Amino acid sequence: MRSMARERTTQEKLRFRRWLRRALLRSALVVALITVAVFFIIRLVPGDPAVMVLGEHAASDAIEALRDRLGLNLSPGRQFARFLQNVFLRGDTGESVKYGVSSRALVFQRAPVTLLLAALSTLITLGATLLLAFLAATHRDGLFDQVIRVAPAFTQGMPVFWLGLLLILSFAVRLRWFPVGGLRPGFGGMLHSLVLPAVTISFGQIPPLVRSLRERLIEALDADYVTTLRAARVPMRTIYLRHILRNAFIPTLMLFSVNLSYLIGGTLVVEQVFAVRGIGHLLFEAISNRDFPLVQAVALYCAVFVVIVSFLADLIAHRADPRTLT
Amino acid sequence: MKKNILIFALIAALAAVFAAPAGLAEGGGTTFVYARADSVTSFDLHREITSNNAFAIDKVFEPLVMFDAEGLIGDYLAASHTISEDGLVYTFTLRDGLKFSDGADVTAEDVKFSLERHLAVEGPLPLEADIASIEAADEKTVVITLNAAYTPFFSELANFSNGILPKDFGGKTEEEFFKNPVGTGPFVVSEWDPAGDLVFVKNEYYWQEGRPAVDRLVYKVISDDNQAINQLRVGDVDAVESLSYANAAEIAGGPETYIIASGSWNVEELFFNTLDEHFSDVHARRALALALDREALARALTFGYGEAADAVLPAALRYSAAGAVAALTPDLEAAKAELAQSAFPEGFSTTLSIPSGNNVRLQEALIVQAAGAAIGIDIRLNVQEIAAFRQDFRNLNYSIMINVAVADFPDADSIFAFQVDPEGFSNCFWTSYRSDEAVALMKAGQVTPDGGERAEIYEELQRILAADAPYVPLYYPSILVGARADVEGLAVLPNGTADFTGVVKK
Repeated sequence: MRSMARERTTQEKLRFRRWLRRALLRSALVVALITVAVFFIIRLVPGDPAVMVLGEHAASDAIEALRDRLGLNLSPGRQFARFLQNVFLRGDTGESVKYGVSSRALVFQRAPVTLLLAALSTLITLGATLLLAFLAATHRDGLFDQVIRVAPAFTQGMPVFWLGLLLILSFAVRLRWFPVGGLRPGFGGMLHSLVLPAVTISFGQIPPLVRSLRERLIEALDADYVTTLRAARVPMRTIYLRHILRNAFIPTLMLFSVNLSYLIGGTLVVEQVFAVRGIGHLLFEAISNRDFPLVQAVALYCAVFVVIVSFLADLIAHRADPRTLT
Repeated sequence: MKKNILIFALIAALAAVFAAPAGLAEGGGTTFVYARADSVTSFDLHREITSNNAFAIDKVFEPLVMFDAEGLIGDYLAASHTISEDGLVYTFTLRDGLKFSDGADVTAEDVKFSLERHLAVEGPLPLEADIASIEAADEKTVVITLNAAYTPFFSELANFSNGILPKDFGGKTEEEFFKNPVGTGPFVVSEWDPAGDLVFVKNEYYWQEGRPAVDRLVYKVISDDNQAINQLRVGDVDAVESLSYANAAEIAGGPETYIIASGSWNVEELFFNTLDEHFSDVHARRALALALDREALARALTFGYGEAADAVLPAALRYSAAGAVAALTPDLEAAKAELAQSAFPEGFSTTLSIPSGNNVRLQEALIVQAAGAAIGIDIRLNVQEIAAFRQDFRNLNYSIMINVAVADFPDADSIFAFQVDPEGFSNCFWTSYRSDEAVALMKAGQVTPDGGERAEIYEELQRILAADAPYVPLYYPSILVGARADVEGLAVLPNGTADFTGVVKK
């Protein structure tokens, strides 16, 4: 009996190592592909960074001089080689064309705001998901459950910028509960400023998660082990917290990790609508200005971040339930 | 008990969050917050041209002479000036007691250094006059001698790029100096994020007594129009730069907001690529110009804040022939007759390029499209992202485009040199237009002293341009600034910059 258990543990370890190896390789590949794709795609888009910096009335000589200084007159291959050399040898993603400062410094300056926004949005998303899915599952086929099932058609169909504007007009301009936009000073001020943007992002995130968790909860509630636990007079609170939620939440967590890149993408529009100067706002400006080094820096760091968080989410899910290892 | 403590902690945290101060800049005194679409990326006055930087540079550095809201130029850091009869020698005497923001005296040597650096840098707003020498005759007198008379020179000097800075950057390196610039202007840079906001504090040594009235001026970057408007409505900002016409009514009619409108040195125009197979034909250009009802267009799009344009020179600039050029009065029958004289009497198909994200331009394009359809010119719209639009028109890769002509300083030559001179880098505002007669008049205007003769030259030049129609003026836009009702004394100048020196918040 003991040797069987030991054998199972060894098999699990082997499977985990194999998963870890594959996951690391996959993550490195994703970052590399994104870096290469962004580098070349932004250069395929029409528009000259030098004209965007110097203005459309600038003299041709001044534009040529700036293009030379920025290395834009080199072939794309040489530009890419130079970019890789700087990234790997010096950890430097270049100087922003528009702002004249280190692109890495700009990304790190803006990252905390976006991380805070993403964290707040995650909290709201997970909290609302738990509450709504729980209520729907425990009132199966009732009015509340029906509403929860129909609501995604409306919430997911709403354009983010429109929803953002609606929230601004209602809660900031009319009721004045929250700032219209930007960030107020201090940590408390920042949190206060980020409530509406976070809610806007969460609106699109919550429905699929609620749907997934509701189904899992219903499955769990109907499972034999729950009936057994109830027969054994285990308190319902313990059954929910220790057994049902734990089992039901893992697939939802995995779905959430898949949705993470959408969450980061969501910040791009939301930060623009709410004038929150985070990574999304920076990327928007960088693309508009054809600020190649800044676009590359944002894409690279975002890719690394999403890959790390996805990896950690998978790791947590696998640790909680080794059956999910493939 | 534990639960109660948790609830109490939660309420306390929420209270702390909601009680956070609302203002962007903290500190004593009055703070004025001005919303702008783009950040200030550099204070190097000799290397900058775009308005995001220019309208911050001019708060720190000031020129010898300056224009007012009517575009009239007068002495500024100079107490007085003289110009020799032959137009070759300009002598300026500095004001008494003039100081930089670090308390150092301003001398003629500083003026000489500033202008010579401008000449050496050869930046995007160069001094076009042929300058022989700049001399400091004494502590307060500067003498500038030209090799050839050049009438626009006096106006050029009013440009922000001819502001005065301390000789040898006050002993700092260029890089250090422009990070913490020192000038004579009403404000001093206090906190600056090149990708974000800029906070100025008042210059304690400012030469205009009692000014500025506000202690701090904040340039808050808000790139989204709706955000800017909403922040103005709730009082998070005191004023908004460059309000769109579409938002003007809402701000003008708001209980706590109003509009400050100013005439501008800009002209919204339709530009033809004269190398295009159709628009190399002057009759095709004239036909479309004649088909356009510019009065109706200006009325429909500017909500009364813009005037229909007929002359290439903005109405707010001296020598504008606005209202006097009747070469292309809208007339559908005349337009059809003009097209009949072209190489394409049956009409043709063409493309009109505009930048995306600009609803006014889109509406203008639709009106032009309808005007073309009325005479048999089928116009397809090419709505491009701004960077692509700029790249294409600079490469003359367009047929028709809508753009705005801007005078950098209050002299007619600022427009004509850019739009008429085939040797200029702008290739006649990227139309490739060629007219020897127009060039001769432009050059005559550069050397003729201000007065009746210069007025005649420019009127004739505007008449030729209207007849040749390489570009068709659509309307003269106003500059709109939205402000809170408690703001007084905010002045907007015709180049779009705001003068905050007289601002008070009631």
